[in-house]
Amino acid sequence: MDMNTEKEEEERRVQVRFVTKLKPPLKAPSNPIAIPSNLTRLGLSSIVNTLLKAGDPELQTEPFDFLIDGELVRMSLQQFLLAKGISAERTLEIEYIKAVAPRKEEEPSLHDDWVSAVDGSNPRFILTGCYDGLGRLWKGAGLCTHILAGHSGAVSSVSIINKKGVESVTVATASKDRTLRLWKLNTEDSVYHPMKITAFKILRGHKASVQSVAAQTSGDMVCSGSWDCTINLWRTNESEAESDEVSIKKRKVNNQSESQLEGEAVATLVGHTQCVSTVIWPQHETIYSASWDHSIRRWDAETGKDLSDIFCGKVLNCVDVGGEGSALIAASGSDPILRIWDPRKPGTSAPVYQFSSHSSWITSCKWHNKSWFHLLSSSYDGKVMLWDLRTAWPLAVIDSHKGKVLCADWWRDDCVISGGEDTKLCISSGISV
Amino acid sequence: MRVSKDGTFEENSLKKKEKMMMMKDHEKRKLTNNDNNKMNSKSKSKNLTSIDKKSQQQEQQQQQQRQQLVEEELASDSGDSDYQGFVDTGTDNGFDSDQVREDQSEITESHLGVEESDSSEDEVAPRNTIGEVPLEWYRDEKHIGYDITGKKITKKDRQDKLDSYLASVDDSKNWRKIYDDYEDEEVELTKEEARIVGRFLKGKAPHGDFDPHAPYVDWFKWDDAKHPLSNAPEPKRRFIPSKWESKKVVKYVRAIRKGLITFDKPKEEPRFYHLWGDDSSSTEKTKHLSYIPAPKPKLPGHEESYNPSLEYIPTQEEINSYQLMYEEDRPKFVPKRFTSLRSVPGYENAVKESFERCLDLYLCPRVRKKRINIDPESLKPKLPSRKDLKPYPKTCYLEYRGHTGAVMSISTSTSGQWIASGSSDGTVRIWEVETGRCLRVWEIGEAVQYVAWNPLPELPILAVTAGQDVLVLNTGLGNEEEQENIKELLRVETPTSPDDNDNMASVLRWIHNDKHEGIKLRHFKSVSSVEWHRKGDYFSTVMPAGQSRAILMHQLSKKLTQIIPFKLQGLPVASAFHPTRSIFFISTKKNVRVYDLLKQKMIKKLETGLREASSISIHPTGDNLIVGSKEGKLCWFDMDLSSKPYRALKCHPKDITSVAFHRSYPLFASSSDDGTAYVFHGMVYSDLTQNPLIVPLEILRGHTSSNGRGVMDCKFHPRQPWLFTAGADSLIKLYCH
Repeated sequence: MDMNTEKEEEERRVQVRFVTKLKPPLKAPSNPIAIPSNLTRLGLSSIVNTLLKAGDPELQTEPFDFLIDGELVRMSLQQFLLAKGISAERTLEIEYIKAVAPRKEEEPSLHDDWVSAVDGSNPRFILTGCYDGLGRLWKGAGLCTHILAGHSGAVSSVSIINKKGVESVTVATASKDRTLRLWKLNTEDSVYHPMKITAFKILRGHKASVQSVAAQTSGDMVCSGSWDCTINLWRTNESEAESDEVSIKKRKVNNQSESQLEGEAVATLVGHTQCVSTVIWPQHETIYSASWDHSIRRWDAETGKDLSDIFCGKVLNCVDVGGEGSALIAASGSDPILRIWDPRKPGTSAPVYQFSSHSSWITSCKWHNKSWFHLLSSSYDGKVMLWDLRTAWPLAVIDSHKGKVLCADWWRDDCVISGGEDTKLCISSGISV
Repeated sequence: MRVSKDGTFEENSLKKKEKMMMMKDHEKRKLTNNDNNKMNSKSKSKNLTSIDKKSQQQEQQQQQQRQQLVEEELASDSGDSDYQGFVDTGTDNGFDSDQVREDQSEITESHLGVEESDSSEDEVAPRNTIGEVPLEWYRDEKHIGYDITGKKITKKDRQDKLDSYLASVDDSKNWRKIYDDYEDEEVELTKEEARIVGRFLKGKAPHGDFDPHAPYVDWFKWDDAKHPLSNAPEPKRRFIPSKWESKKVVKYVRAIRKGLITFDKPKEEPRFYHLWGDDSSSTEKTKHLSYIPAPKPKLPGHEESYNPSLEYIPTQEEINSYQLMYEEDRPKFVPKRFTSLRSVPGYENAVKESFERCLDLYLCPRVRKKRINIDPESLKPKLPSRKDLKPYPKTCYLEYRGHTGAVMSISTSTSGQWIASGSSDGTVRIWEVETGRCLRVWEIGEAVQYVAWNPLPELPILAVTAGQDVLVLNTGLGNEEEQENIKELLRVETPTSPDDNDNMASVLRWIHNDKHEGIKLRHFKSVSSVEWHRKGDYFSTVMPAGQSRAILMHQLSKKLTQIIPFKLQGLPVASAFHPTRSIFFISTKKNVRVYDLLKQKMIKKLETGLREASSISIHPTGDNLIVGSKEGKLCWFDMDLSSKPYRALKCHPKDITSVAFHRSYPLFASSSDDGTAYVFHGMVYSDLTQNPLIVPLEILRGHTSSNGRGVMDCKFHPRQPWLFTAGADSLIKLYCH
């Protein structure tokens, strides 16, 4: 009897057709085939791989992920169909995509202290901030080119200012010494020894540690959030003439003859009642901020007005905007749940997605630049997780850090960079989104 | 009426007896009467044989009359018509004829040869024929009745009572004379008759010759009596239904129909009953001294089977471990396996156990416990659900590692960005709350007892107690301007000249501490705690062994020290400033004293009722405070309510080390040496009529005990519903909502 039923189960098959948006060498023939219904992602992946190899024997085996009705398959096909109430009678259309998971773990780049901030928005280099008060520029894994020295406190946040049509790169760092510094560097020089650079502009004005810095898309301005509950806007320009109203001092620093500008805040956005932990400036005139007062606010950068609030009930440490139409807000903080709101929905107070695989505070969350579905999160539990909106389980868990992960970002669209308590900057590459 | 003493008579009387027995509602007294009657007639007949006819007749008449009198009397007593008909025939005639007729029939039936008696000869008709009617009817008439011819019998003239008395006095036979009302004449009893009456009165047989104890003659022939004694056909009454009975039945039926008689419904026996159930319930119903059943012995389980399944069999290790146990703890029965029931040996403890059981039953008094059936749920106070009281600290996400000894005290900065901690390893550390990074370490060199962060946000300085010293340390966290101010503030001139105030110098000196760039206040006794005033200028220190100078008040800006001018009774334990007014709380071991600092007098004394208070915390509104004690009790005082605790919560099994109120959320917490911290909801309403609401919310575990100490201190984050706990395991933990 048992044998019979087992056989029956084995023999229960479903008609499927594999479709994909991938380019021809990875395109499988789309005629329907019957496959056992108890297959999981791995089984499906091997089937697709054999199908592809039949067409082109040279092809490398590649892990795939499978979508049925816009949802990733994370259990056996049979269970999935049962759970979703999809009939197994008709031919099932399964879309396959490349599995999003890191394939390679690069050599960790060691710092002198905790790595508190990382920015990978420029594909040519990685910018990190460290608790020793230095910012560092990395060309790749273990290849440090520039050291940004000058802060007297730990660097809490870094941001690359991408000015259009300017060869040299400007970066901004925020520190716990209540200042922000702007740095200019030429990344073209090929240096084997890290070059020490001093800031060209010091932005003073915050009364407490600056927690976060973000640059305008045009690169003309930066905004910063601080423990003094304010968000300050600063100009990044070098010319002294432009800012007449701003008192500019020149002074000698550390016997270096280089002049340092000092800048004052152009505007202050007041509204948060507690520490502003993260600011982001995704569009020209919109700033998003997350705060310990449990709110995410959208500000109009021109008028300095608070446009909308989302209240969460928990302390928020990170926020990012992205996804579909760059409109979804992902935020998280003092709990292990990554929440995603859709502000376009009328009456949105509840998050549309909640991801809760972490076990401790989440320190950063970042949307993928190109994808609508993918985002990453890092947590004090020492894990970086990759998420897809189409499934509630993490796509991949990067467990390369010992101790807390303090920051993480995407780099070059296929790498995840993360820095943590173990003073390492980890680069996980080979992620095909 | 010649009736001899032969069997006929006997039989006759027997018959009568029988008849009388059959008569319903017959009184016993009547029966004896009847007996007398029989005797009477018997003696009479005997008498009659001896005397001549005439006198015999007379005699008989008289006797009859007398008998009639007696009988009448009896009859009127009984009022039974049946009986009357039989006894009261008016004359001997009726009676005897009746009797004889019956006799005759008896004789003929029994075929016994009996002497024929000529009844007609004996008949003497009574003169009066009125029969048995009440004589009152004739009381007012001139006649007394009618004779046989129908003529009136006129009454005799009544003798004057006096005359009759006089006549009777003279007459020696007067006592034998009887007046007959019916016949209206006087009758004189003969001597013989009087003797018989005398015998009657004595209760003897009427005739002197009668032997009451004559030998019994068994006249019945037992041998051939195959049939019942009487061959007579069954009387009719045996066949017809009894009229009286049917009447009675009808009466009952009517009563039942009317509902006068109700029946209990037949009890339905429960079909199933609990075989092993306690049978005490059935005995409970009886009201009298109730029987208390003995407690049932434990029922045998599977392990007591002769061949229990393997999981019941203890392993060899378990059996060995039993040997290490105490006799009482050791299991009484060790399961064993046998291949068959035959091989099971006798139970070696059988006698012992049954003896012990008997001893138990005999010696252990059984008392019925009176239980009140109250749903325990209904006794619980109605508390709001914990869900509605969110947020409150629940889970630990962050740990602050770095200390090497027990963390004695923690303090949060006003902004909530940093916490400071003092440890028994002699260091003071400052941590970043958000990341758990240690920002700064001071090596004090002596176990740090207490740290307190200045409440002013622009004055990030710490007050630290270590041994006899109180240090004021600059954290260096403010901006340049603030740092300038702090440096200015912490500058102390060269030791004040001793002539300033001698007595203070002996108590305490303000010294500049070069090593930590702070101020050192050297006390004369070890300092246990330090508290800042809300304005950040004054701080108080507590020296439990300082006696009258135990509590000192220091002013940072002027570097001045004052002794609290209040007299303390008992050892001071902790002190606290009122959050808004100039009121100062000092907790001694038993009481909390509330002082007004401006008026310099005591306002209130709160009696904690605790053995040893250990910590105190004031609610941000200032009207409520909690006191933790070393016996694990927590007392909540509502100062407006009374000087007694509003609520005492016994929650911790060990000493409470610290209690804390949240600054903005309605939360309070207590930490204890048992390694836990309790979080409570403590809502104080602005409405004065409403009492504070206290709801226990969460037990926070996670700290391990070391050296019998658990959680040493707990403090709330000033702005978030988070709780910091400092453990003796050298960890600081942050519990978040």
